[in-house]
Amino acid sequence: METFLHQVIAGLATGGIYASVALALVMIYQATHLVNFAQGEIAMFATYIAWTLIQTGMPYWAAFFLTVLIAFVMGVLIERIIVRPVEQAPVLSVVVVFIGLLVIFNSMAGWIYTYTIKTFPSPFPKEPPFGSRLVSSHELGAICVTLAVLALLYAFFRFTPLGLAMRAAAQNPESSRLVGIRVGWMLALGWGLASAIGAIAGMMVAPVVFLDPNMMAGILLYAFAAALVGGIDSPGGAVLGGFIVGVLENVLGAYVIGNELKLSVALVLIIGVLVVRPSGLFGKVHVTRV
Amino acid sequence: MAALLEVANLHAAYGPTRVLHGISFGLEEGSITALLGANGAGKTTTLRALCGMVKTQGEVRFSGARIDGKATEDIVRLGIAHVPDGRGTFVNLSTEENLRLGAYVRKDKSGLNDDFERIYGYFPRLKERRHQQAGTLSGGEQQMLAVSRALMLRPRLLLLDEPSFGLAPLIVREIFEIMRGINQREKVSILLVEQNAAMALDLADRAYLIETGNVVLSGTSAEIKQNEAVRRSYLGY
Repeated sequence: METFLHQVIAGLATGGIYASVALALVMIYQATHLVNFAQGEIAMFATYIAWTLIQTGMPYWAAFFLTVLIAFVMGVLIERIIVRPVEQAPVLSVVVVFIGLLVIFNSMAGWIYTYTIKTFPSPFPKEPPFGSRLVSSHELGAICVTLAVLALLYAFFRFTPLGLAMRAAAQNPESSRLVGIRVGWMLALGWGLASAIGAIAGMMVAPVVFLDPNMMAGILLYAFAAALVGGIDSPGGAVLGGFIVGVLENVLGAYVIGNELKLSVALVLIIGVLVVRPSGLFGKVHVTRV
Repeated sequence: MAALLEVANLHAAYGPTRVLHGISFGLEEGSITALLGANGAGKTTTLRALCGMVKTQGEVRFSGARIDGKATEDIVRLGIAHVPDGRGTFVNLSTEENLRLGAYVRKDKSGLNDDFERIYGYFPRLKERRHQQAGTLSGGEQQMLAVSRALMLRPRLLLLDEPSFGLAPLIVREIFEIMRGINQREKVSILLVEQNAAMALDLADRAYLIETGNVVLSGTSAEIKQNEAVRRSYLGY
């Protein structure tokens, strides 16, 4: 029973990571109706930046926040410079650009940092919290960081004028321009936020999976599954989907199918959701009068 | 009275399809001016052209300064509010959030609460529904919301695109009455685009008749009402 509980809690910890990446995917999906395949690689690259900063002797949390800031700027720049010129292009062109970004970031990381696996420090203590055998400090810490990020984002979108403007721009660009919202910049801000969230997810997962240029490949798949389970247009759904996928993956991996087949859980979930319930568990049904 | 809006030789096109062929008209500060015309005459395109939502050639001046070629977001900041064709509701946001967005570019956020009260005074129904998802409002309520969202800007010029479209005559009359009140009390100038020529001429001081992208007739509302051709084709008596 205790090991089972431990599996569940470990699943919640990685689930938080999936939730964050899924949320980043959903944010860009809502604004553009496109899935950003490069989301994971941007997060990976940001994690390498954090690693570099820590190597230069910077304290962990200073490096953490600086990395979040750098990732934010990186996201904004990517949108402005690379994505914006193809804004009006057909879907497939944009998808190719996203895949191109994925490959570029992946190779850039391999070129600069080599493909050798590196350890990444955890900011949380080595010994388990309160002498617990159920949960490690890093797992608990990662869950807390994830929840804090989600709460901040919720407050930002729900209660600030800028958050409202971003939601408006995503839903109805033309009306948004008519009330004076600079829609292009809102999109760029969305990219910045998504990249920053991805960076946090990357830094939280790197101590567990270790740092290498391919570390986000599996995580991105789980995040896709999470976003689809929750409903690709529902931020709250994506978060819940993340935790569900995390726990499922861990428990099934430990007891049913073994660790080697874990990743197929994500694929089965993706196909299952698309076949049975394409709008996902929490995909909102919007009522519109016509 | 000074001219608030001067349009000279305005052309507009959607891709290769030219819609406006050099129209010219003006609007006096504090007045209500109507653009009349049949379906497809270019009325909506004229409003969209003023707001930089289509590619244009020609000159548009707002209180003396050129605004043609400016971005929509910047034109809004000058105090031009546009109630678009189809109402432009943010359907997934609440009524109150829709109104809040109307005031997005305003610097003086302090007067915001007064503005909410003022608008709920004009349209008590919006107050009842302020937490409701705006997409679930009725057509009339969404039109009220569109007008209110525009008023939250505290505009100098209000562009109204077919406010009567798809609404029951009683609601249209209510909205037109409120428009008259806003024009008189708050000194907001209004450029009104309408197919319902009779109602528009009752409300407006001046009117222009547009046919296939050209102004074919202009004058005070009284003059236009007297015009034989207008009476037969647009007023129907």
